This record gives sequence, structure tokens and C-alpha cells, in this order.
Amino acid sequence: MKTIRLSLTTEETVPIEAERISPDQMAGLELDQIKCLEAWLGNRRITLDALFSIQVEGEAQGPESTTIVLEGDFSRVKRVGERMTAGSVIAKGNLGMHAGNNMIGGDIHIMGDAGDWLGREMRGGKIVVDGDAGNYVGAGYRGERCGMRGGDIVIAGSAGAFLGEHLCGGSIRVEGNCGDFPGAANQGGSIFIGGSTHLPGAEMVKGSIIVGGHAHMLPSFVRMEDVEMEGERFVKFSGDLVENGKGEILVAETV
Amino acid sequence: MTEDVLCTFCGCLCDDLRVEVADGRVQKVRGACRLGASKIMGHDRIKTPMIREDGVLREATYDQACARAAQILLEAKRPVLYGWASTSCEADRKGILLAEEVGGVMDTTATVCHGPSILGIEEKGLAGATLGQVKNRADLIIFWGCNPAEAHPRHALRYSSNACGRFTPEGRSGRKVMVVDVRETRSAKNADKFLRLIPGTDYEVISAMRMILGGKADVVPETVAGLPKTQLVETVEIMKNARFGVIFFGLGMTHSRGRYKNVDNALSLVAELNAFTKFVVMAMRGHYNVAGIGQVMACASGYPMSVDYSRGAPYFNPGETTICDLLNRKEADAALVIAADPASNFPRSTVEALAEVPVIQIDPFENPTTLLADVVIPSAIAGVEAEGTAYRMDGMCLRLRKLVDSEFPSDEAILQRIIDNVRRLRA
Amino acid sequence: MIIRGGIVYDPANGIYGEEMDLFIEGGRIAEEAAGPELDASGLLVMPGGVDAHSHIAGTKVNTGRIMRPDDSRMGTEPRNPVCRPCTGYTVPNCYAIGYRYARMGYTTAFEAATPIINARHTHEELEEIPILDKGALTLFGSNWTVLECVRDKDLAKLAAYVAWGLRASRGYGVKIVNPGGGEAWGFGANVKGLYDTVPNFDVTPAEIIESLAKANEMLGLPHSIHLHFNNLGKPGNYTTAIETLDLLKGVQASRMRQVVHIAHMQFSAYGGTGWKDFESKGPAIADYFNRHSHATMDLGMVLFGPATTMTADGPLEYANSRLLHAKWANCDYELEDSSGVVPLVYGRKMPINAIQWAIGLELALMTKDPWKVIMTTDHPNGAPFVNYPEVIALLMSRPKREEEIATVHELVKSRTALPTLEREMDWTDIAVMTRAGPARILGLEDKGHLGKGADGDVAVYNLRPDEIDPSRDHALVKAALAKARYTIKGGTLVARDGEILSAPPGRTYWVDAGVAEADANRLMADLKDKFDRYYSIQISNYMVQDAYISHPNVIRAGLQVREGEDRSSHALAREA
Repeated sequence: MKTIRLSLTTEETVPIEAERISPDQMAGLELDQIKCLEAWLGNRRITLDALFSIQVEGEAQGPESTTIVLEGDFSRVKRVGERMTAGSVIAKGNLGMHAGNNMIGGDIHIMGDAGDWLGREMRGGKIVVDGDAGNYVGAGYRGERCGMRGGDIVIAGSAGAFLGEHLCGGSIRVEGNCGDFPGAANQGGSIFIGGSTHLPGAEMVKGSIIVGGHAHMLPSFVRMEDVEMEGERFVKFSGDLVENGKGEILVAETV
Repeated sequence: MTEDVLCTFCGCLCDDLRVEVADGRVQKVRGACRLGASKIMGHDRIKTPMIREDGVLREATYDQACARAAQILLEAKRPVLYGWASTSCEADRKGILLAEEVGGVMDTTATVCHGPSILGIEEKGLAGATLGQVKNRADLIIFWGCNPAEAHPRHALRYSSNACGRFTPEGRSGRKVMVVDVRETRSAKNADKFLRLIPGTDYEVISAMRMILGGKADVVPETVAGLPKTQLVETVEIMKNARFGVIFFGLGMTHSRGRYKNVDNALSLVAELNAFTKFVVMAMRGHYNVAGIGQVMACASGYPMSVDYSRGAPYFNPGETTICDLLNRKEADAALVIAADPASNFPRSTVEALAEVPVIQIDPFENPTTLLADVVIPSAIAGVEAEGTAYRMDGMCLRLRKLVDSEFPSDEAILQRIIDNVRRLRA
Repeated sequence: MIIRGGIVYDPANGIYGEEMDLFIEGGRIAEEAAGPELDASGLLVMPGGVDAHSHIAGTKVNTGRIMRPDDSRMGTEPRNPVCRPCTGYTVPNCYAIGYRYARMGYTTAFEAATPIINARHTHEELEEIPILDKGALTLFGSNWTVLECVRDKDLAKLAAYVAWGLRASRGYGVKIVNPGGGEAWGFGANVKGLYDTVPNFDVTPAEIIESLAKANEMLGLPHSIHLHFNNLGKPGNYTTAIETLDLLKGVQASRMRQVVHIAHMQFSAYGGTGWKDFESKGPAIADYFNRHSHATMDLGMVLFGPATTMTADGPLEYANSRLLHAKWANCDYELEDSSGVVPLVYGRKMPINAIQWAIGLELALMTKDPWKVIMTTDHPNGAPFVNYPEVIALLMSRPKREEEIATVHELVKSRTALPTLEREMDWTDIAVMTRAGPARILGLEDKGHLGKGADGDVAVYNLRPDEIDPSRDHALVKAALAKARYTIKGGTLVARDGEILSAPPGRTYWVDAGVAEADANRLMADLKDKFDRYYSIQISNYMVQDAYISHPNVIRAGLQVREGEDRSSHALAREA
């Protein structure tokens, strides 16, 4: 097992793009090599050791047995865990935008808050956020037909707007509230929102959205029979009929 | 008298103005609306380049100001270059080159007006037509969340409600005009039908209209966002029965709750209407060349706004690479503002963030942004003192005329001087 | 510059794989030259490639970029000391267009459709494309003035309008797209065949096409009419194609060339009564071309993968978007034409797409005379132009075709003749279909060949024609054609092994055709009225100004223009 610990040594407000902070990129490298990995501070191409103090313990066979621990507030560090296939990233505090972009496998655990585009175009693996997450959790890139296709995202707090836009698979669970338009153009993923939201499932054609709190529904969903789940009563809707959709939304309370 | 002058005020880009020039100055503007005439007549100019020292703007030479601007941009790790909608495409192209050379973020005023429309177009495309098509063919004109009577004063007469064309010889009396808005604007008062929305309900109203159009009215609740279904059914009937219908939409749709999703849904509604009749849709663009900077950027970078060149290749992600987001998160560490006034148009906290970084301003006129600028470079007025290219709200590309000589260099020339300085300093 | 020892294919000059040295002096092929020497010993050498039909500039192209950030993020390349940054795959940015053509050994590309009214936009973009020489074909198939001249059988006035339209748009030739359909689409309708009347104008597509062909020849334009058929993209449309071709048999060419060039023939070689019994009529079309010599075609080859369809055929794009449930952009131009853009993906397991793929190959392989066929993908409609090496490898190698056929939908075996075709093209065929042919068809006298005085545009490839068997070594062929060893443009080495070394600006070709003053006067009175009443812009702001063509190459046609009658075009001609 190999553990790589990073903590920020700069107080710059200019963001850092560091897609090399990923078990796949770091597993096979010695400390000196890790220090020399490329990162970007705004428009400056620099090395990781110019921004972080880095410690390595243990050995790894591959990314599966590699854990990256981010100490402190990483909310200005973007693209951590991008395209990772295995292993773990643990952020002890916040983590910036695009964490787990195109993630294929492994785990990311964010103990603080996550920035926007968490798990964008994710295909597999698991992301857990103890705090809140920003907009576009599990969404796609602009203009694409597909967002997240697989894997799981669990958010203990609340999430921003456009959660799971163009979702094509996988699941997203938000214990708290969610901003407007969760699950827009959903094509087969599942979303659970413990709290409340506004206009879920716009243009969804498949998949499901469960809202434990209240939601304002679109007029293009048809109301079905009420259902009971784990002792609670939900109103069931089917749609979005503007797209002849057959998605399913369960809402505890409509407003 | 110079004929067929282009108006450099709004996205209508009227090209039929007559301007009287004498003694090297514009004396009179004929045929323009009040807004356009006043823009072309001009007002107090910034007289000289200035550099802020010890908190005070002091006169400087163009050489000094351009060198200082280059230095600021080169020192910055995340400079943002903003504005571009009220100058020529030629200046815009220089701006893109400068952004490439300094690894900056290139963003435009679209970000605070029709940026959401662009995101909607990325989802759905846009069924459009030139304004002349509307003039010659449209018998149903819908203004949604826009008020041309105040913001685009000649739109109705030249292009839309009141224009006469080949298949619309009766002008206004042969047309139906509808306004959809949250309050009864002047445009609404002039309309045949006014649909009043509760603010922030555009999306659901459009969804209901798509349902009715698709023959699923039975599923739609009896009232949608406070509007009786019967009224929506009647509206959709009018749309279906038009020979040529058009929706012009404005900030009322793009900047109310729902944002780009509202536009996205409206674009689908229009596409679906084409199964029944001819229907097109158009954004009521504000600044006279805001469409142009979008075209120029798309050609050069693949994206029409908010392009981040910090890593050498264009990266586009509105919400991340848009100027307000960059400032709010304190990512930007310098700004070049050209032909725009963010100090007046941005939210207060964003303006405060802007005030904390070095700001370079290029503009013919002083505005509130001047107060927080560190380098001020006065320029010739595009379309009055400098030639160039501009794109009308419908994408028509036209050539701006030069009416009078100017002691000031053009935006294009100033930007080239900054680029030259950047290259010199880097070498 | 001297290019030593290459194996030269220059079919326009009867040179079919001879070892020889090439000399370039003052940007042109010469008999001797000084300067740097390039070693091309034993390597394949051809004239710079010429693309006669590609969508590289203008509103449609930029609309494709704007609606497809998903595409723009593909193919991203950062800037370097020579190159501006690149983006895009099916809708590359303007810089990528220039560099990517040059990497493949192409030095000339023509934009296939621009409306007069927004030609300024097209030229703004052409100006930004580095390296390439280029031009734009101007749309004439639905313009009110055209429809009215045709209705009134006033050919002289029609020719005057064509000449004026070319000058106004700084255009190179007469493009006709779904004639009459663009006007009908203004009210959401279309024309369904050659003899369907255009609403409100009382003319038929047949009359429009025939009249424009005659006007084109009255003006003696370097290129023939360039036609996108009615009913393009629809099952059973090959009958419209043949009917239209027959219509033009009697038109006399004013120059030694075809009287009609058919754009992206593949999209009009369809049989069947609907998508269910959709089948190839490639063999029937090729047979027609083998029996007649008044027409040429470009392939419009479809390859599997993403594409962005874009055309002035507005109703076709609307139909595509509904069929595919895809994004749809449309732009109709007042008094002139329509257009649309729809992204799509061609799938090898999709029966229709697989048959379309096969039809392109059938047309090329079954048309005996390569001078009648230009290799294109109708970029980016059938595939992006960067895939030309794939098409060439398919044309040169039956084993490669068999490998591919094994992976595509099985209907290719029963609905097309492709599996039975044995022909394997040689380098002469390829040099004709990608250089000599398109240059001759466009009427570009200095392009597509390596004779004395020709433009110094040369491509050298890392292939030894004497040693390689393209049938077997098709992968090598494809790789080598994708990255020329050297691309020389106007005597400047612009690319080496895929790396861009310099990016000089190219020239823009346009045609200035003179007409009789009386006809011009009649026309102008009519146009003035149209601008007063119908256009939304002023006539004085309509014409493309000289400022938009910084490196013009003006080709003169029509009646001799008298001294002083049009100074601007004379000045331009001198400058060129």
C-alpha cells in the first residue's frame, strides 16, 4: 500500500489545475518523480513540488493500492482524480472543480465541500462528499448528449443546480436539497434527493428521480398512482412527455 | 452627407443612417433612433492615455500606457480580457491574439446578456432566419422577455411588426403581434395579445405549450404557473396557424430563473412548430457587435465566448471561464476591459473583486470602469472614426464606415501595440 | 527550390511515375531554380492537393462550431511558435483547417456554398485560414432575381445577375442547391422534383437549372454550374439525378470542361421507395457517367464516425434533425436561399450508413474515367477532410475493402455492388482524383499540375511507389498520406512530416465577369427596387469590399470590360 500526502504550500488565489493528482499517474512513481509532475497555476506550467509539500509512504503494485491524501483546503485545486481507474483519493477538506472528471474506477472521498462539475462524465467508481457539492454534479460537457454513464456519487449535504444533466447511467444520491433542474435530459441514471428541489427531470426519457422533500413539477409529467416506499408515501409521475419520455419521478410532496 | 451609415448602438445594426459631417466632426445624425443618434454624436472623450500612480490617474503617452498594459498582462497568471461587443471584429481578432500570447481568458459582454442563449443553442441548435425574412414573410411576431420599443427602437419598423415586405404588404395590419413578459411594457401595450408570466416560470409555460402542440393537452393541468390552460391552448393555436411565425427573445427569458434551460426549451418549441408551419427564433442581441465577437471567437477558437487560453489551447466552460465567475472566485489577477463598462453592469461584489486587480481600460469614453482602472487608453470610435466589421443580431455581416478622422488610434491599433510590447518584453 | 529525385505523378502533363527533379522559382514551377534542395529520392511526388468541394468558411461552418462545443474540444492542439491553437474535428477552427490540409499535402480548398448576402462573413473566415489558396462558390438556386429572370425567360439579364452576384460575393462560381427549394422553405415547404413549381414564382427547378447552366456558359465562367440535386438524401432519388443530368445534355460548354459538376454524388445515388428497402444505385449512376461526358462529380464519401451535416438545403436538414432527433440549426436568407446544420454519427452497423459508405466507393470504382470524379467527403457532411487518406486507401486496396465489408452491416452485400468490385486504383488515378481532376473541373489553370508556370504547390510523401504495393500495404499508404514528407505551397516549405513549419497567407480566387451595359442597367433598376422594398440592408452596404480579400486572384470572364468601367476589379487584377 502506498500513501501519498499532499498539502498546499501556496496561498495563491489563482486556481491550480492538477489532473496528475491521481492514483493512475502517481502509483508507479518515486517521490522525486511525483514532485516533478506537471501542474498549472493559471497560465504558468510548474511542477507539483512548487505548490505542494509531498510525502510518500509505502509501495504500490499499481493504482489499486495507491491512496492520495489531500491535507487542508484544496478548493482551488481542479481536476483531481481525472480519468482515474482505481485507488483512492481522500480530501480531508474541500476539493475544487472537476474532481473525478471522466473517472472510471476507484474512490474519491471529499470530507469537506466539492466544487462544480464533480464527477463530470464519470463512468465508474465512487465519489463520497461529506459536505455540499456545487453545480453540475455528474453532468456532461457542453453540447454533449451524455453526462455521467456509471458509478456512484453520494453527497451528505446539498448540491447545486443541473445535477445529473444528461445522465446516462449510474446513481447520484444527495441527502440534502438540490438546486433547479436535477436530472435534466436523464437517459437512464437514478437520482435520489433527500431534501427538496425545483423542476426535476426536464426532458428526461428514462431513469428515475426520487425526491424525499418537496418539488415543483413540470406540467409535462403525468401523475400516476401513489406508491409507498420504506413507510413513506410518494406521488409518482411519468415523463417528460415533451420528449415522449418514460422516466419516473417519485415526490414526497408537490408544490 | 454620408449615406447608408451603420448605427453602432444596438444589435439592429441599422445601415440606413445619414450623417452630416462638417469641420471634421459629426454635426447631425438623420434616420436614427434617439439612442443611436446620441451614440454617434458622442460625448466627452477620454483625452489622453493615463496610468494610475499612487492612487491617481496621471497623463501618459500611448507608448507608456501600452507598455504598462503589456507588463500587467504578462505578470498576471490569470488575466481576463473582457468586452469586445462594441468594437469591430478586426479589434476582436487582435484581442484573441493577445489573449493567446498572454495566456488569458477571453470573455465578452454576452456573458452578462445572451450567454445563456448560447448554452441553449449548444443543446438544441437554433432555427433562425435573417431579419429580412421576417420583414417579407412573418404574419405572427412574438416578443418574449424583450421590449424592443425601448431597447431596439427601430426594430419594429425596419424588420418586424410594422415592416412591409413582399408577402406582407399590409405591414402591421396584416400581422399579429404577441408579447410574453412579466410586466406590461410599452411593447406589450402595442401588441395584439399579451401573455403575462409570473417571473421565473418561462420554462414550465414553454413545456406546457410543447405538450399542447404535441397533442397532449389533456395531461396539462388546468392552470400552469397561474395561466389558465385555455389561454395557452389559444396561444398555441395562433402559432400553429401562422404562415410564418417568429419568436424574438430577450433577457427576460435568459436571465430569469431557468436561464439557459428556458432558451433550450423555447428552441425545441420552435423546432417542433416547424412540423406545422414555418417558425423561426432569434435572440434580441444588445450591443451592436456582440454577435460579431461571438462569430470571430468561434472561427478562431471553436467557441463563441468565455475561452481560456491559459494552457495554450482553447478551453471553454461557462460557469468556470466566464468573467463574473472568475472574479467572484478571485481567480482573475488582472483585467483588460475594452468597449464595455463592467463597473456599471456587474453585480456589486463582482465589481469589488474587479477593483482589487490591475485593470486596463481601452475606450473612447470615460465610464465608471475608468474609476477603477490602472491604465486608461483612449481609442477612436469604431464605426465613426474607424472602419471595420460588425455582425447584426441575425448574423448579417456588415462593414462599418469611417465618417471622420480621429486623433485617437483605433482599438485594433492599440491592441497591436500592446501585442508588440508583450513580444518585446518577453524577448 | 529544387526537389530532387522524386517519382512524379503529374497526369495533366502525361507524367505517370517518372523519376525527375522539380524546380520552383518565384513561387512557380520552372525549368531551373536556385535555393534550397529537398531530397525526395524515390518518394511519391504529386502536385499539391485540390479540394473542389468542402465547407470551410461562412455562417454554416461557424454555426456548426457554435452549436458543437462537444466537437470543438476534440483535436485540441495548443499554440506553438508557428501555429495558432487548433480545435475541433468535424468543425475545426479556421487555423486547424489550414494546417490539417497542408499536413496532408493539400494546398487549395474551395468553400462549396455561400449566399451573396453574407459572403462577407465567408471571406472574413477564408482570410483567417492559413496557407491554403481558396475560393467560394456562390449560391444562385433560389434567389428571387434568378427565379424572375427564369420565369421571364430573360437569359441576358440572368447572366448579368450572375456576374453581379459573383462580384458582390467575390465568388468563384455558380452553386445551385436544391433549386427552388430554398425559396419554398421560406414558408416551410419544398419542391419535390424537377417539374414541381416553386410557390409564388411560377418556375420549376428544371427551368432554373437549365437557365443557370446557359447563363454560366454565356459568361464563359472557368467553372461550370455546381449542382446539389433536388431530393438529395432521399431514397429513390437517383431518378431525379438522371433526369436532371439528361436535362443538361444539350447545353454547350463554353470551355473545355463539363457543363455541370454534381456535388457529393453519393447523396443522390439512392434507390428504394423508403428507408426500409433503401439500396444503392451507384452502379446506375456510374453507368450514366460512363456513357456521357457533359458532367463530372465529387464523391461526398461517407465514413463511419462523427460528422456535421451542413448545407443550403434547409428542408433536408430539418428532415435529418427530425429523423435523428438531433440538434438543428437553420438560417434562411432573405431573397436568396436557406441553410441548415445537423450533427450526426455514421455507424458501421447502421444499414443506411453502411450502404451510403459503399455507394461512395462504387461511384469512384465504377466510373471508368477518373477525370470525371473528385475524391471528397463533402467535408464535414460525409466525414471530416482529415480522413481523405482512408478513402484513398480504400480505393487502392481491395483487401482493405474486404476487411471493412466484414465489419459493416451485412446489407452492404445484398444492396450494393461493392463486394464484387475488383478495381484497385493506382497513383495516376489518385493524382487525377485529388489534384489534376479537381483543378481542371474548377478551371484553375495553374493548379493540379507541375508544368512550367504552374503554382509551386507540391506534395512529397514517405512512400516509394516502386517498392510498395498499395493493395497489400494499405496501412502504410494511409499513414503516409496523412502526413506528407514535405508540403510546398507557392515555393515555400510549409509542412514536414506533419509538422507545420510556416504558415503564409493564401490567395482567394474570384471571378469578375463582364456583361453588356444594357443588361447590367436593366438588372440594376430591378435590384434597386428589390433593395428599396425587400432587402433589410442597403445596396451600398451589400457588396463585399476589397478589404476582405487581402490576397486576391481575380479570374476574368464574360465580355471584355472596358477600361475605366470597373476600376476596382482592374486594380485587383493587377494586384493579383
